[in-house]
Amino acid sequence: MARRILHIDLDAFFVSVEQVLDPALRGKPVVVGGDPRGRGVVACASYEARAYGLKSGMPLGKAHRLCPHAIFLGGNFHRYSDASERFMAILGEFTPDIEPLGLEEAYLDLTGFESIYGPAKETALRIKQRIKDELGITASVGIASSKVVAKVASGLSKPDGLIEVPPGQERAFLAPLPVDKLPGVGAKGEMALKKMGVKTIGGLSRLPLSFMKQTFGIWGEVLHRHAHGIDNSKVEAASGPPKSISRSTTFAQDTLDRAFLKAMLHYLSERVGAELRAQGRQTRCITLKLRYTDFETITRSHTLRQAADTDRAIYDVGCKLLDREIDHRAVLVRLIGIGVSNLVEGRQLNMFEPWAEGLEQLNQAIDRIRDKYGFTAIESGSTLPLREVFPTEDGRYLLKTPSLSR
Amino acid sequence: MKVSCSQEDLSKGLAIVGRAVATRAVMPITNNVLIATEGSQLKLAATNLEIAISCWIPATIEKEGTVTIPARLVTDFVNSLPSGRIDMSLSPRSKSVELRCARHEAHISGLDPADFPAIPKITDGLNVKIKPGDLRMAINQVVFAAASEESRPVLTGVHAEFEGEQLTLAAADGFRLAVHKVTLAKGVDTRTAIIIPARSLNELTRLISEQEEPVELTVNSQKSQVLFRMKNVEMVSQLIQGTFPNYSQLIPKSYTTRAILNLSEFLRATKSASIFARDGSGIVRLQIMPRDGKGKIAISARAEEIGDNLGEVDATVEGEEAKIAFNSKYLMDVLGVLNKDQVALETTTSSSPGVIRPVTDESYVHVVMPMFVQW
Repeated sequence: MARRILHIDLDAFFVSVEQVLDPALRGKPVVVGGDPRGRGVVACASYEARAYGLKSGMPLGKAHRLCPHAIFLGGNFHRYSDASERFMAILGEFTPDIEPLGLEEAYLDLTGFESIYGPAKETALRIKQRIKDELGITASVGIASSKVVAKVASGLSKPDGLIEVPPGQERAFLAPLPVDKLPGVGAKGEMALKKMGVKTIGGLSRLPLSFMKQTFGIWGEVLHRHAHGIDNSKVEAASGPPKSISRSTTFAQDTLDRAFLKAMLHYLSERVGAELRAQGRQTRCITLKLRYTDFETITRSHTLRQAADTDRAIYDVGCKLLDREIDHRAVLVRLIGIGVSNLVEGRQLNMFEPWAEGLEQLNQAIDRIRDKYGFTAIESGSTLPLREVFPTEDGRYLLKTPSLSR
Repeated sequence: MKVSCSQEDLSKGLAIVGRAVATRAVMPITNNVLIATEGSQLKLAATNLEIAISCWIPATIEKEGTVTIPARLVTDFVNSLPSGRIDMSLSPRSKSVELRCARHEAHISGLDPADFPAIPKITDGLNVKIKPGDLRMAINQVVFAAASEESRPVLTGVHAEFEGEQLTLAAADGFRLAVHKVTLAKGVDTRTAIIIPARSLNELTRLISEQEEPVELTVNSQKSQVLFRMKNVEMVSQLIQGTFPNYSQLIPKSYTTRAILNLSEFLRATKSASIFARDGSGIVRLQIMPRDGKGKIAISARAEEIGDNLGEVDATVEGEEAKIAFNSKYLMDVLGVLNKDQVALETTTSSSPGVIRPVTDESYVHVVMPMFVQW
């Protein structure tokens, strides 16, 4: 029996959330991403703005040139995260087989539910209506026998649409579509394929498998199958907690000011540490990420002998790695980030470090205060320099790249 | 030099001193073994500058002399020979040693023995004697708790404190502390404490496994070197300089829960749990449950996305119900070296040190720091 997989994607999610909160924004070109004079990228653009050629990932400066009268918003991760939770909760009422993709997308497996809810299409319409009623946001849906075809269908139906691809019609449905509609082709792949004269997914499906493997590596085989509408992957939620936690931010101006970089690193370390502790886990590996003014991006990692979960431990390693990098290459920094991985449960206590327990309790106390009153309610001296640069709102620093710096 | 000895004696002697041959030598000559005539015996010696081992084997000396030749080469060659008489002679001009055994013959180039590091002679200072069995057990029960990494050098050693008729050995790497008291066969007048590298003691346990006579221990007056004298074998070790932490204050004076349980059952349950703990940080969780004087300990482990395990061991529990998590390796290390039927586990809170001691044996105590986990 053919599976019935549903892909649902909220339309212009961040902007839609803003429009619900401020109806005056409706029907206007709106961009979430930050100050257009700043350095971030478009996190989300309304359909009105997309008409001017604006896209996610585009530098804000360029977006501003293309559409100078657009309304640029800084965005607020907490609002999006709240809306996302409500979205996922609605989906959860229809099936337990949900695979979320980020905040605003998910796959649902409705196979076998027809006898209970009726045809998949009717279920999809009910889900769309619930989301519109409860969140005030429209969603686009694709229904097909596999994940990849469902995703292509939902993308094609945007905004507020629904496309169902009947079993057996997958290949015919994909064939005439431009090759960049197939997930995973990407800009580089599209360029390479265009050079070969391949413009449609149908064209791609006619390339021999051996050639695909040669050109795209392992991914070539997957693309080959997908172009034929074949995708046997299951709908399954990523099992277990995340494997890493990281926070990063792009600066309004490239900088080599060590004190400022360290203040930011301290802030990001505290954010990472708080999340780590909220998950009740410890880290064994700390990674610093830097992007230089020339866009060269480096990551440097350090593995700890003993797992840790304190802000101090994360910052100390990050700071050491930062010093080493700057000593090594004194180039203006565009982006800084810190992450923890190799996450484990439990931390070995040391009889010669009785102060570690105190540090632990200090972190927990600070976490509790911040949960209630916000980050800026209690700060170490290390992050105070940020006050001169960033505005605060609701006890939080407003960085320039909000969607990335939860 | 012209000597002869038996292949068995030479092979055995080379194996003994071979433990002290340098592996990654700064001085190439420390890759060599020193072979010298001494009275009616042949002395074999090797050193890696941290320890030096000397060994005497019976020999027939025709002409006295000293040579140093690559230890690995001569050991492998001698081991390959049939048992029987080996004739060894040094050609003074070429500094090459000729070995003959039955119909085998080899020539090995040597280095000038004058360049071989002097094996320290220790005659003065503190002198005690310990029964080899007592010493071996004491080392076995303590040495594994020493630190393996060098960030605090004193912790890579074993603290040895001599006082009256008693020697107290202690080692701690921060995560556990092991203390063993042993009675000396010959005691001291003045209290003395030294720090012996754990590596040296590991080598010593190998050497004393065949000893029956008490081991004589001499510390030089500068307290920089220690000599262990056994029958036909001597080992000299450098001592670690520095201040060992005052560990007695790290041993909890009281407890709120004490469980007495069968050692082998405890070890088996810990091993089972450790299989599941491997993927995490080696965490095993112990839940001590009292019930009318009797009770049990539940030992469990779980691995994210893999599975979990729970084992129970009967125990005589005194005090309150308790929960504590340990690194399974640390538990297995200590349970694996104890040789009594019953052990006691004493705890206070889940983040304060746990104490393991053999019941009816005051000479040993082990402190393990718990792991901080979410319950």
